[in-house]
Amino acid sequence: MELFVQSLVSGLLLGGLYAAVGVGLSLVFGIMGLTNIAHGCLMILSSFFIMVFARHMSGSVVAAFILTVLVMCVIGALLQGVLINRVLAKGPEPALLVTFGVAIVIWNVLQLIFGADFKSIPSPMASVNAVNTRWVVISGEYLFNFAVSAALILVLHLVIQKTLFGRAIRAAASNVVAAELMGINTGRTYIYIMCLALATGSVGGLLVGQTFGFYSYSGMSYLIIAFGVVVIGGMGSIIGTLLGGVILGVAQLLGAYFFGSGVQILVGYLTLLTLLTLRPRGLLGNMTRE
Amino acid sequence: MTAKRALHSLVPNGKSLGVKTFAVLVAAVASALLPLYGSDYAVSIGLLIFSYISLGQMWNLLAGYSGLVSLGQQAFIGIGAYTLAKVTTVYGQSIALSFFVTAVCAAAFAFVISFPIFKLSGVYFTIGTWIVSESALVFFRNWKFVNFDAGYNIVAAYKIPMGALYLGSFVIGVVSVALVFLILRSKIGLALMAMRDNPGAAEARGVYLYRTKLVCFLISSVYIAVTGVVLYLNIAYVKPGATFGIDWAVSMVFIVVIGGIGTIEGPILGAVIYVILRQYLYNFPGISMILLGAVAVTVILLAPKGIMGALHGRFGFELFSVRRTAAFDGPDREEGARISVKQRR
Amino acid sequence: MNDNGLLTVESLNVDYGDFRAIHDVSMCFPKGAIISVIGSNGAGKSTLLNAIMGVNKARSGRVFFEGDDITGLRTSSIVAKGISMSPEGSSVFENMSVYENLVLGAFLPGPRKKRDILLERAYELFPPLKEKAKQQATFLSGGQRQMLAIARALMSEPKLLICDEISLGLAPVVVSDIYSRITDVNETGVTVVLVEQEVKRSLDYSDYSYVLVKGRVVMGGLSDELDEKEVKDAYFGINQYA
Repeated sequence: MELFVQSLVSGLLLGGLYAAVGVGLSLVFGIMGLTNIAHGCLMILSSFFIMVFARHMSGSVVAAFILTVLVMCVIGALLQGVLINRVLAKGPEPALLVTFGVAIVIWNVLQLIFGADFKSIPSPMASVNAVNTRWVVISGEYLFNFAVSAALILVLHLVIQKTLFGRAIRAAASNVVAAELMGINTGRTYIYIMCLALATGSVGGLLVGQTFGFYSYSGMSYLIIAFGVVVIGGMGSIIGTLLGGVILGVAQLLGAYFFGSGVQILVGYLTLLTLLTLRPRGLLGNMTRE
Repeated sequence: MTAKRALHSLVPNGKSLGVKTFAVLVAAVASALLPLYGSDYAVSIGLLIFSYISLGQMWNLLAGYSGLVSLGQQAFIGIGAYTLAKVTTVYGQSIALSFFVTAVCAAAFAFVISFPIFKLSGVYFTIGTWIVSESALVFFRNWKFVNFDAGYNIVAAYKIPMGALYLGSFVIGVVSVALVFLILRSKIGLALMAMRDNPGAAEARGVYLYRTKLVCFLISSVYIAVTGVVLYLNIAYVKPGATFGIDWAVSMVFIVVIGGIGTIEGPILGAVIYVILRQYLYNFPGISMILLGAVAVTVILLAPKGIMGALHGRFGFELFSVRRTAAFDGPDREEGARISVKQRR
Repeated sequence: MNDNGLLTVESLNVDYGDFRAIHDVSMCFPKGAIISVIGSNGAGKSTLLNAIMGVNKARSGRVFFEGDDITGLRTSSIVAKGISMSPEGSSVFENMSVYENLVLGAFLPGPRKKRDILLERAYELFPPLKEKAKQQATFLSGGQRQMLAIARALMSEPKLLICDEISLGLAPVVVSDIYSRITDVNETGVTVVLVEQEVKRSLDYSDYSYVLVKGRVVMGGLSDELDEKEVKDAYFGINQYA
């Protein structure tokens, strides 16, 4: 019973981290209809950046993270402005294949430079327990992850609902021509969105890098998790990603509790497939394109 | 005379039939006899090319003609490879039997997963197929029946001479081309073209459309599984990470996108380029993948129809025409408009 | 026509694939006037507007606004120059409130600074919008939706306002109401282009008219001098223009 409660609580907290992994994908899909296969690889790329920068900045993860966000914004602007904006008009599949190509390039470049070894980002909270009772142990790290993700999603939600920039984004998401008629340059808006998505991806990259570690190919595994989060929560729904993350996290850890840890990932995939078939548009309403 | 007319009715664009057919036949015979005059190295390259032609054709049948972009067809390569290993290494049965069992298993698996994944459309279908394949990978790793992550050696494959392997690959490649050609020239092909040219009108006949796509998916999946058997007769050992790996999907996407999506010649050309590029950069696997990715992105950006599409657009060149002329194209309104525009210029 | 046009279109051709939708169209919209472009369903009205606004690419020809060549510019840049369009079917942002729709209309930096004044003006022009300000646009009636689309287009303080098919699917009373509002707008100095299917109302409300048949301009001139019957004949393709 203790283990069951522990699985439930850990799954919930793990879900927070998953939400940070998925929210960027959700943004990009909801607003420009782009299925970004490179999302996971870009996230792991940011993990590598944080790791390398931290080494060169006398171990300051915070400074490394800030620098990484800037670098990822530049990468996002180039990716969107040079590649994706040119194919978006040709339909969703060519754009999907472009991001697939980008993903292949990123993970192989990482493998070439860093090899296939496991890396991690140092974490100050790795061995601290926030709560320690007979029923449940909550690691400081998991709690930190959840808090950071929840804050990130709340801020994003507010930005999109309440600011003029957010309204312009929603306008571009619902009708590109009408948005252009408002004087909104949708191409430039898409560039901002990609930067924002990669900035959130850097948060995911930081949390994943501190909690689980990563290697060059991890991006593709995290992409599936990101898809899971987004599909369950509803493509394009920001708050939904938190729900999606929690459902996926709880399903995985309960799956591990009932069937053993070997099938933990499989249970996640199957939950995702089932939900995908039953509710193809996700559990929550969203701002997807028409 | 009547025989000639009969031939003409079989193949479109009758007038250019002679030269092209001859060229294709010569190329086919020359490559069939490659083991007789080619070096071992040339034969091994040819073997790969024909296997990859098959993979490309079958992925193209889905993505290029049926609008089903699947990133999960590697699941069927895995099924083929593992069936071969189980049937020959574990049960000591013949390779021939493993082809048969593979076809049955792949058809069953494809049919079962078609229920959930055909509920998905567009990019959701793409994600769904990929997750199915990744699930299969994780499942095999945790499945005692297939020896978990350790895999098997395919001992039976050691004894097969290179020439025979090559011939198997040749047959699977040539048949894949013929199969796609025939499918496109059949009633299914007509339905696919209608769907591509006018999705709205074709949508109105929803049930038929579903069946058409399902048939294409089943054919593609079973054929990829069978190709998987041929491929793994050459590789000779199976392991979940490699047999169900995303690298297979990468190669299929690359071959079709580079060669020309939605053309029959495209995957042939793409497979040749792919295999030669991989061989050339054999000692730098990372670099070859980076190059493949970069080339694929460039092609999608600059020549979305691939090399064949660009050739066709510029020179009107095509080897296998699956278009039907005269009998099907009535003098419709758009045709009339096109003529009048041309006259004005 | 003349050089004092606010917007001039010169020999515009627009293709849809192999199909030519707009043939060699030239037009001049004089400053301060109300101009109507009359044509039946499929005459190419929306195609023409979309080409002017940069939504579709023109095959050949030029569009000038205040003497500047705006051909091939991005839609948002054209809007920034001072042209605003209320699109056909009044595509408002359904999932946003009336207020949010209007705020988006004033997205450009200039209008953004005086957003509150512009909002007051919009509510004055179309009082029903003020009552429904907090409601989602989905819940508006057809007439209110059209008002919102026009008000939203006016939020960018355009020099030229283009209205695509205002009367489509609306009750005649509502249409008359909206038209009189547009006349008010015109009196503040905004040049207005009305694109319509209905001949009589278009001629009544406008200073200049163009008749578009199968993608060509078959008639044009002062609305008072155009004969309603002749326009209708051309429109239905009865005489030589067909």
